[in-house]
Amino acid sequence: MQHAFKLGEAEHNLALSRAREAYCLHVGDRRVPIDLKTSPDGRTWLTLGTRHVEVVIATRGDEVFVHLDGEAHALRYWHPLERLAAQAGGGANDLIRAPMPGSIVSVNVKAGDTVAKGQTLLVMESMKMETTLVAPRDGAVAAVQFEKGQTFERDAILLKLEAAAGEGA
Amino acid sequence: MKTATSAASGWPFSTVLVANRGEIAVRVLHTVQKLGLKGAVVFHAADRNAPAVRMADHAIEITGATPVAAYLDSAQILAAAKSCGAGAIHPGYGFLSENTGFARAVESAGLIFIGPKPEQIELMGDKVRARNFVEKGGFPVAPSAIEDDDPKTFVERSRNVGTPLLIKPSAGGGGKGMRIVRDLSVLEAEIERARSEGQRYFGDGRLYCERYIENPRHIEVQVLGDSHGNVVHVFERECSVQRRFQKIVEETPSPALTPQLRAQICETAAGIARSAGYRGAGTVEFIFGQGGEFYFLEMNTRLQVEHPVTEEITGKDLVLEQLRIAAGEPLGYAQGDVSSQGHAIEFRIYAEDPGRGYTPTTGPILALRAPQGDGIRWDSGVVQGGEVTAAFDPMIAKLIVRGTDRNDAIARAEKALAETVLLGCKTNTAFLRRLVVHPAFVAGDVHTGFLDANPQIAADPPMADETLHALLAAASLSTRPMRDAADCVPDLHAAIGEWRN
Repeated sequence: MQHAFKLGEAEHNLALSRAREAYCLHVGDRRVPIDLKTSPDGRTWLTLGTRHVEVVIATRGDEVFVHLDGEAHALRYWHPLERLAAQAGGGANDLIRAPMPGSIVSVNVKAGDTVAKGQTLLVMESMKMETTLVAPRDGAVAAVQFEKGQTFERDAILLKLEAAAGEGA
Repeated sequence: MKTATSAASGWPFSTVLVANRGEIAVRVLHTVQKLGLKGAVVFHAADRNAPAVRMADHAIEITGATPVAAYLDSAQILAAAKSCGAGAIHPGYGFLSENTGFARAVESAGLIFIGPKPEQIELMGDKVRARNFVEKGGFPVAPSAIEDDDPKTFVERSRNVGTPLLIKPSAGGGGKGMRIVRDLSVLEAEIERARSEGQRYFGDGRLYCERYIENPRHIEVQVLGDSHGNVVHVFERECSVQRRFQKIVEETPSPALTPQLRAQICETAAGIARSAGYRGAGTVEFIFGQGGEFYFLEMNTRLQVEHPVTEEITGKDLVLEQLRIAAGEPLGYAQGDVSSQGHAIEFRIYAEDPGRGYTPTTGPILALRAPQGDGIRWDSGVVQGGEVTAAFDPMIAKLIVRGTDRNDAIARAEKALAETVLLGCKTNTAFLRRLVVHPAFVAGDVHTGFLDANPQIAADPPMADETLHALLAAASLSTRPMRDAADCVPDLHAAIGEWRN
């Protein structure tokens, strides 16, 4: 069964299977024997092929946080259904979410506008800094959820996109 | 350090209220309690489970329209001090620490404000007044021309400042409306442009000009003064690694100073504090040019965020010094008795994403392991199980490392940053690791615009395949639906899969 994780903006497809010893990770055309074990002293060790490395892992919902080789990384498990929806032309990409809590400085588009990838959709302010949110792809603005001056929490849906008129969905 | 109870016996206060939060509240309480005094703290509900609240002998809840507003509410803080019998208030940094009105209100209530006299806060709180005071004392300030002094001769006086010069709106801030002039033939045109920008941004067209220091360094000097007229400096700190005018890394000694320059800048700072009859801990900030010239920038009349590096190389507990001074004790030592050993660097751990323009991040602290070891100090106001919210400043902890010399400190820092585990909320530790091994930082060759001029240091580097696969492996084996799906394939099939290899 195919699964996927998001790491930053990138999506990584992979599969996991049982192996005689532990598990096997299938990624691209590679198969790597893997295992994750906790030693009696409470430390967690990851096996990747012939390599054994200590990791610290924390999870919350679909999010997996991994401290590896001195750095912290955040991954998000992407449910098969969610991916299917995204591939069908709707889904996560159509929802412009707030990357952090803040307030709206300006809204540069309105519902019905056609937008090009990279075009400024709105400007938000968080902790005295302005951030510009741009269209992740070509499309049309389906709805603008917030007005200038309004505040929002992280991950709030600020704006919705849809396929532009005449564009095959 | 003297032992606790005997040191503080006979002081005019036995309970100290900390009017602050986060790591600095913990830091102050630590010394207060070590002295055998009682430590109290005010807190907003957003900080209910914070370490300072847990360790305090008294924790008094305060309220406000926003969490920040609560910590700015003098009346509630004074009432809290009364309710727990506190005889003195330590303001920490930020919030009310440099608020003249608050310092006065504390004194009017019959309590001791742990800081300078209100008139000293007032003097140094106004940039133009402070600059004039320092200049009158014969100390170096950047050559400048203030339009308000005599508008008719402003252009001529600006010309005399010499190039390169910087035109600034009098009412300005944040770099808006500032113009650099390198050629005096365009001076008048640039003045007019700056005036119209000042008018547009601040509704005020008044200007001033000052000598522009190219690629400046930020060097500041810690001073201590008692209420008996004694003033000493406790050496300098260099804070040139900044992003958008905010300090990220501070160290001492400064790699830019020769022993002669070090003595000169430290003596200048002590002289400025002495001329103000300064009482308490304070910091004199200088702008330092590549040619070794330095000018007074401002004086901070409080304990600084970066005070620990000074403590690490001098062995002085600066909060203890503040408390002793507030209790009326003389410093008890002369300048010659203050010495330093080794090198210390502080890293501000921010909840932010350097790769995305240093934007703040929020999230739960699911796992937290502070680095440990010889020469490693971790000053933090957050704990595992806590949460980083947008309610306060994004600085969540400070890592301070001490080494025998700068290279030793850098090596320890690199290791300590790698061993700092904080999961659930993105922080700048990976960026700090890249920074600390960057050739310019290693060479001590940075200026305040260094990070803004080199954004590639903040960008996330490309990931090696092996790292990616390790992350995917760790994540896969930690994700229930994936393990369950893999586990329900019978072992037989898995075994067949193996045979086919």
